[in-house]
Amino acid sequence: MRYPKRVGRLSVPRRTVRLATAAMLVATTMAACGQDDGEKASAPKAPATIPELTKDPLTLSFIWFDWPPAHALETFANAEYAKERSNVTIKVNTVPNANWHDAIFTQFAARKTDFDIPILDSQHIGEAVTNGNILDITDFVKKNIDVKAYNPYLLAAYGQFPQAETGKRDENASLYGLPLLGDTWTMIYRKDLIGDEPPQTWDEMISVAEKCQADNPGVSGLAFHQANGSDAAAVTYNTVNGVYGGNLWDPKTRKIDGVLNDAAGQEAMDVLVNKMKPLTATGSGNWFIDEVNAAVAQGKACIAFNWIAASGGLLDPKQSTLGTTREQILDKLGFATLPSQKTNLVPLGGMGMHVSAYSSEPNQAEALNFMKWFERADIQKKWAAAGGVPSRTDALESPEFLNAGPFNQVYTDSVPRMRDMWNVPEYARLVDIENTNVNAALNGAKKPKDALDDIAKEQQGVLDSSGRKGGGGL
Amino acid sequence: MAVSVGEAVSTGPVRDHTPPARRFGGRGRSVLEVALLAVLAVVMLFPVLWMIETSIKENRDVYAIPAKFFDFKVTMDHFKDVFFASGGGRSALSVSFLNSVVVAGVSTVLATVLGVPAAWAYSRFAVKAKKDQLFFILSTRFMPPVVVVIPIFLMYRQVGLIDTKLGLILIYTAFNVPFTIWMMKGFVDEVPAEYEDAAMLDGYTRLQAFWRFTLPLLLPGIAATAVFALIFSWNEFVFAIFLTSSDTVRTAPPAIAGLIGGTTVDWGLVAAASVVFALPVLVFAYLVRKHLVAGVTLGAVRR
Amino acid sequence: MSDPVSLTTEHPGQVASATPPAPGRSSRLSDRWLTVAFTSPALLLLLAMSVFPLLWALYLSFTDYSATRGGPAHFVGFENYTAILTSAQVHQRALTTLIYVVGAVTLQTVLGFAIAYLISRRTHGRGLLTTLFLVPMMLSPVVVGLFWRFMLDAQFGVINSMLGSLGLEQVEWLTRQRTALISLIVVDTWQWTPFIMLIALAGLTAVPKYLYEAAAIDRASEWFRFRTITLPLVWPLLLIAVLFRAIEAFRLFDLVYILTSGGPGVSTETLSFHVYKVAFLGFNTGTASAYGILMVLVVLVLTQLYLRYLNKLKED
Repeated sequence: MRYPKRVGRLSVPRRTVRLATAAMLVATTMAACGQDDGEKASAPKAPATIPELTKDPLTLSFIWFDWPPAHALETFANAEYAKERSNVTIKVNTVPNANWHDAIFTQFAARKTDFDIPILDSQHIGEAVTNGNILDITDFVKKNIDVKAYNPYLLAAYGQFPQAETGKRDENASLYGLPLLGDTWTMIYRKDLIGDEPPQTWDEMISVAEKCQADNPGVSGLAFHQANGSDAAAVTYNTVNGVYGGNLWDPKTRKIDGVLNDAAGQEAMDVLVNKMKPLTATGSGNWFIDEVNAAVAQGKACIAFNWIAASGGLLDPKQSTLGTTREQILDKLGFATLPSQKTNLVPLGGMGMHVSAYSSEPNQAEALNFMKWFERADIQKKWAAAGGVPSRTDALESPEFLNAGPFNQVYTDSVPRMRDMWNVPEYARLVDIENTNVNAALNGAKKPKDALDDIAKEQQGVLDSSGRKGGGGL
Repeated sequence: MAVSVGEAVSTGPVRDHTPPARRFGGRGRSVLEVALLAVLAVVMLFPVLWMIETSIKENRDVYAIPAKFFDFKVTMDHFKDVFFASGGGRSALSVSFLNSVVVAGVSTVLATVLGVPAAWAYSRFAVKAKKDQLFFILSTRFMPPVVVVIPIFLMYRQVGLIDTKLGLILIYTAFNVPFTIWMMKGFVDEVPAEYEDAAMLDGYTRLQAFWRFTLPLLLPGIAATAVFALIFSWNEFVFAIFLTSSDTVRTAPPAIAGLIGGTTVDWGLVAAASVVFALPVLVFAYLVRKHLVAGVTLGAVRR
Repeated sequence: MSDPVSLTTEHPGQVASATPPAPGRSSRLSDRWLTVAFTSPALLLLLAMSVFPLLWALYLSFTDYSATRGGPAHFVGFENYTAILTSAQVHQRALTTLIYVVGAVTLQTVLGFAIAYLISRRTHGRGLLTTLFLVPMMLSPVVVGLFWRFMLDAQFGVINSMLGSLGLEQVEWLTRQRTALISLIVVDTWQWTPFIMLIALAGLTAVPKYLYEAAAIDRASEWFRFRTITLPLVWPLLLIAVLFRAIEAFRLFDLVYILTSGGPGVSTETLSFHVYKVAFLGFNTGTASAYGILMVLVVLVLTQLYLRYLNKLKED
């Protein structure tokens, strides 16, 4: 390199070396400090009674991913909660769905959150509890919430850790959250193409879809989540696995390998890849919520599966080619509970609300007060009328809820049939392993059996890796 | 002292020389070459045109099969949605655009203030191990952002810079300083040091000579450098998505990425947001077209 | 330490004085001061924002530290490094990255050079052509990724729609193992061909005219002229551009994140994307740091190579 020939001697390098040494020293000390803050990894407890609330203006912040229920919640809470607490403003921060877990847990890792109420996916509870990120609200619930008003599994799924056995709540286990939005898959079917009566069994559903696809060129038989992001493909496999009598794991012995990929699990994978996948549209291998909705709205699917809370847009004539009014669309679209086969299990979706351990005390108090308010019978009904999915049994059976959307009856009927995934601290990695492998199998990048065996082996590896030295997370 | 640095330095692809092929190749070949260029140009520009078209289509035309190229109704609704929320008021997207303006603007100013004097010093003085220092400076710019973001994240959480505009500004400045130094060093190299020597013979100090005689000559170069730094910060995505999470801090790239992955995808809105977002960059890039070669190679190549 | 800021800011006032001041003291001393004052703020920032974090990452790479789990970091020696270097998962990502880097950079070089060559032979409209070709390069990877995802959509994407009009079959651009990686390469090529073109064009226009004229007198064939005059003169510059692109492509993250998020399966996961998963899904900060350090080493080697060729170019 050509440098101008200039005189001037000085030794920046020596300075640099000194600075580097200093920086290294600081680095080690800071790193050392950084380690002290999480020594005891258990969740701090919330008080049993709500502390005195502030009269000063206060903003209660939520964090959720960007979808219609998030906006509905903000509008609803600001309109209704303000009637009792006029000094409180509700803000629902939203992040892209793909970034949901990362956005919440990076803030937890920072031990500083710009939200008071994180809305966690039900399976994230384990990670948050083990790291001490959210408050233990067991005592608060005992004192303030009428637990008998709920289907016990809903309370368990959105709040309990360690996880409940399927369908059962452990009365002695600790609670860390309360239900905010219930959800499950609904089957969306074209009444004009397959008739008014939805198929009752999984096999029947597949043959109906097959016939429909053959009869209607340009329309594919099925549409469902296959993407490798979020929990898309994993939920799809888990659903089929449940319906065909499989199990995700044995929670007592923490065994996945040999359980997930047993005969029932293999059959489920075979059904998914070899019977269902051929009935989907070309290139649907990266579809998630929005693509499935688009396919239904464009009239390109006979039968589709999607989360209920994400189905509202289907009735919007502006986004649909199925009709110019809501009624016209509903003439063509039917919503039903999932078909059953060996079991009648359906996936549990939705989310609970939790209290950030790093919020200020007035905000934590306000958060608890909000939760108590939100779980009241009258408010749950209003939440239902505002487009939310409540959890209290009385609200689920109320006309306010059942009349609010054509798919709400589906939810109420599905509640006793729900099954969730593992909510262990290793969830994020487990679901990534399952997502990428199921997605690979669906797109021909792996043989179905190999994919399932790989899932079982790798997931087992994650569960067993606690004692391992180095290389964790690969 | 009428040397315009801009002219002296600029080369770009504009210098003329008659293509020698003309004399031999003949007409047919020339036509072939023009046709080839035209095809390539269409291929390269089609996605951009398609983006613009999608932004002014109604949603039902966006999804039309086969795709509609000309026969569609023009609407400006998507552009309206970029700036205004459906219920009235500012949209989250427009807030993110403002955040981008602040973050990109401030980090560019900081990088310029820090980088230009350093570039001058590296150009004028014999600094020990200068090559090593310059290598070190350039290599920091080449670090994979995903790797850097891990320790930066740990550092920021200690000092409370997670999810703040200041945090983004600092990291963008740090990524722009190496660029500024390398790019500006080239510009300084081309201003003869004799100007400063002459000024110093007249009794000015070195600093005064720099300030009064060299700096004014560097201004066009500084402007070009700053524009490139601005473009980098404006387009940056990785740090933005991992270091910020709230609407009030989020810059435009993660906000636009967040438009998909809800329950419905509004490709018209995505396209309109992309057009609005890309427009300033294209205008700026046009303004500094003379320095593009230097700009896109971090100032390393300057012909 | 000196206070560089006050030094630079207090000056404009003095400069305004019309009469030249008396010759300063030892100019060497002031030169030294100036160098320190002018370079140290920038160096300090880089130390704080680049070197310090990397040293921290280096320290963490020898531990099993996790950013979320808290708890003390246990020293694990080189365990993280050996685990990474022997992991089949990592080898797979390295291969994907290699295919991607080689494929994309080769394609860009060929295409970019071809366009530059064609443009350099035109007398008219060169400025306009160049400007138009450069547009893709200026766009944010977010915009590029999103838009190509839309265009490559198998159902209503415009690419398949055009193939359909030509009577061709629909292609699953983003959801088949091979096509997904090819799509990634194609999109990257679309965005960065202009880069190679720009630099090749700079080289081509700098070829002295008299060389061609001399060759013309010799009645040398066109290919001969290209091979003996054009290419040798442009090659060093082109090499720089290629290396530069290789470094950038090696770091690729955002396009993968948006276009395929690594799918189908993990077949388009690059090293950068894998580091992200290790760092933010399981929060295995120690492992991720070691992984990152290894990537930095590769980048440093490439940068060193790049600078060597750059110096060679400048010396000629």
